[in-house]
Amino acid sequence: MKISEREIMVLGDEAVSWGAIDSGMKSVYAYPGTPSTEIFEGIEHIVSSLDDGRIAKWTANEKVAYEMALGTSYTGHRALVCMKHVGLNVAMDAFMNSALTGIRGGFVVAVADDPSMHSSQNEQDSRYLADFAHLPCLEPSTPQEAYDYTCQAFEISEILGVPVMVRLVTRLSHSRGVITRKENMNLPECLGIPPEDTKNDWVLIPSIAKRRYRQLREKLPKMLTVSAQYNKTSISGHRLGVVTCGMGRAYFNQLCREYPALKEYNRLDVCSYPLSLTDIRKFIKSCEEIYVFEENYPYLEDKIRDMGQGKRVYGRRDKSLPMDGELNPIILKKCMELPLAESKKESEVVVPARPPRLCDGCGHRDAFNSMKDALKNIGVDEPRIFGDIGCYTLGVMPPFDMINTCVEMGASVGMTLGAAEAGLEPSIGVIGDSTFFHSGLPTLISMAKSKTANANLVIVDNKITGMTGQQPTVAIDIFEDIARSFGFSEEQIHVLKPLPQKHEENVKYLENVFSQKRPDIIIFRRECVQALRKKLYQKYYQK
Amino acid sequence: MNDFNKPFGVIVAGVGGQGAITVAQLILGACWRSGFYALQSEIHGMSQRGGAVSANIVFDQVPVTSPVVTSGEANLLISMEPLEALRYLPLMAMDAKIISATVPVVNIDNYPELSSIFDNLKKITGVTIVDTDDCAKKLNYKHAGNMCLLGASSKFLPISDEVWKRVIEERFKSKGDQIIEQNWSAFEFGKKLLEK
Repeated sequence: MKISEREIMVLGDEAVSWGAIDSGMKSVYAYPGTPSTEIFEGIEHIVSSLDDGRIAKWTANEKVAYEMALGTSYTGHRALVCMKHVGLNVAMDAFMNSALTGIRGGFVVAVADDPSMHSSQNEQDSRYLADFAHLPCLEPSTPQEAYDYTCQAFEISEILGVPVMVRLVTRLSHSRGVITRKENMNLPECLGIPPEDTKNDWVLIPSIAKRRYRQLREKLPKMLTVSAQYNKTSISGHRLGVVTCGMGRAYFNQLCREYPALKEYNRLDVCSYPLSLTDIRKFIKSCEEIYVFEENYPYLEDKIRDMGQGKRVYGRRDKSLPMDGELNPIILKKCMELPLAESKKESEVVVPARPPRLCDGCGHRDAFNSMKDALKNIGVDEPRIFGDIGCYTLGVMPPFDMINTCVEMGASVGMTLGAAEAGLEPSIGVIGDSTFFHSGLPTLISMAKSKTANANLVIVDNKITGMTGQQPTVAIDIFEDIARSFGFSEEQIHVLKPLPQKHEENVKYLENVFSQKRPDIIIFRRECVQALRKKLYQKYYQK
Repeated sequence: MNDFNKPFGVIVAGVGGQGAITVAQLILGACWRSGFYALQSEIHGMSQRGGAVSANIVFDQVPVTSPVVTSGEANLLISMEPLEALRYLPLMAMDAKIISATVPVVNIDNYPELSSIFDNLKKITGVTIVDTDDCAKKLNYKHAGNMCLLGASSKFLPISDEVWKRVIEERFKSKGDQIIEQNWSAFEFGKKLLEK
């Protein structure tokens, strides 16, 4: 794709990438996470063919990414940080407090939620977190809006002096369509560091933080004014009303094509937060019954119902829509009692599910196989293994049945140690290299100090962030050095190669390690077969 | 012939790694180059690891806002794998067309008897089964299957050969002229299968 092309076919995520590039973004930092990964990758791809000093870097985790982007903003440059919804939990401290410090160069936080948990542990709704931080949030419903809103978010950020969230959901992140870019691509510009009179605004000691918090709250009227420009109310006089946002808006608009009568409903289209309560009140007053179509939680629905003057509100709370999972046009049709199209008969042959599985030839297979046999040989027939987030979580499936927990990034390390201290023997955790750097590292310090706990941390090290599409990890081949420097002795550090021909040898080795009443680190090291096939190791690490 | 004055839904189905998303992108690009408004939706994530993968495309004469095809609204299914063709039947409109490959991807223990899958497929109106193995052999190109399926399905899409040729060229140009030529031949081969 040529940089000069204005009409381009892109993913919703990549529309955000182009919005950031065309707005003169200087730096983007991120940690991979479905469905947000392609925002960063889109920018990285574009930046590689531009020569204007822009920066695109993966970081150890979302908190680091957020802080680096905030540092960029401090220097007066525009910055983007992108992550999936649960990544914002990791960056939460920085996110909350950056609302108080404020920003210098425009600062945009692109967050992709994952309703229906296509690739996530929960379906939390990031709008609550924007609200919680008293920050504005824009919510696009098409790739074009994803582009436009990202461009505008940088402007709004500088006008209001705060970070601005752009909230996507999986279905938009991974929708492909044509967007029209603005005429000129802005080059990165620099506003300079915070001037003398505001330089202490960034120091959140109590005396300053109190002032900055008040000032943040005092920005609400201005935020409402900006936000109001995006939110459209149209009152037709119909007895029914519909409140839509994000993909709820996209699906309702599509249904209007099929059922023109829907166009007669009163509408409140929400594309931006915070919301003006005056507008909601006016809207509610105009309707007898109200539908609310929004992705994830009943955020708008709760407000509408609370202020609803007893009117019937159709949404997730009253089960007119499913309580969980993403919306789709059928769900909207059922809710509004529209006729469903007739479809072909279901298959007579039972169609079994085809779940994802570990690749043929993957080293994780050999790691699980040898662990399983070693445990059996030392009398642990029903092992309980603390898992983490990565391809190896698929070890939960048969024939392995070797993962018993998956909570959040890094949890395996702390749970292994906590369980070992409480007496579980042997206590075993499995974590990948990238996940370990993300959030496992601090716990390893505690593990090194816990001299007699039979805690076994298995690092399945393929030197890549495998599951999200094989992005580079922040460092390779340094686990042994890290363990040593934290106080692990040589006899507590083990490096094994997970290969079928090494099975017996690895089983024997592990039998001994798992039996020791001390913390151990077992590194199963072998390249990811997908990354090898794509020759990514040469590309990333032999520059 | 199909009615292209209303939204037209296409599903491309397969198993992770088969190239369903690539085929979907070709269709999306071809719709765009033919003057339609179009959106495509795909679920990535775990897709590389042998799971079921599908992409939806919706195109229309007016702007499309929903990239999702739901129950009874898909007009065309292109399946790279016979079992996957059965998976999406409840989404297909009564008069929908289905093009399915013959070569199974057996990566699950409970994969049904292949003959029962074909028996079921043959009972459904609008189904064309393309012997993708035979296509690959005749064309002496082991990746011919997907383009043969696309060529066969082109019979049901309002897109000219010039546009198909253009999007195929754009998609494979980084791989050289020979690959473009092989893919275009496979497309034409598939197209002819439905002309007989």
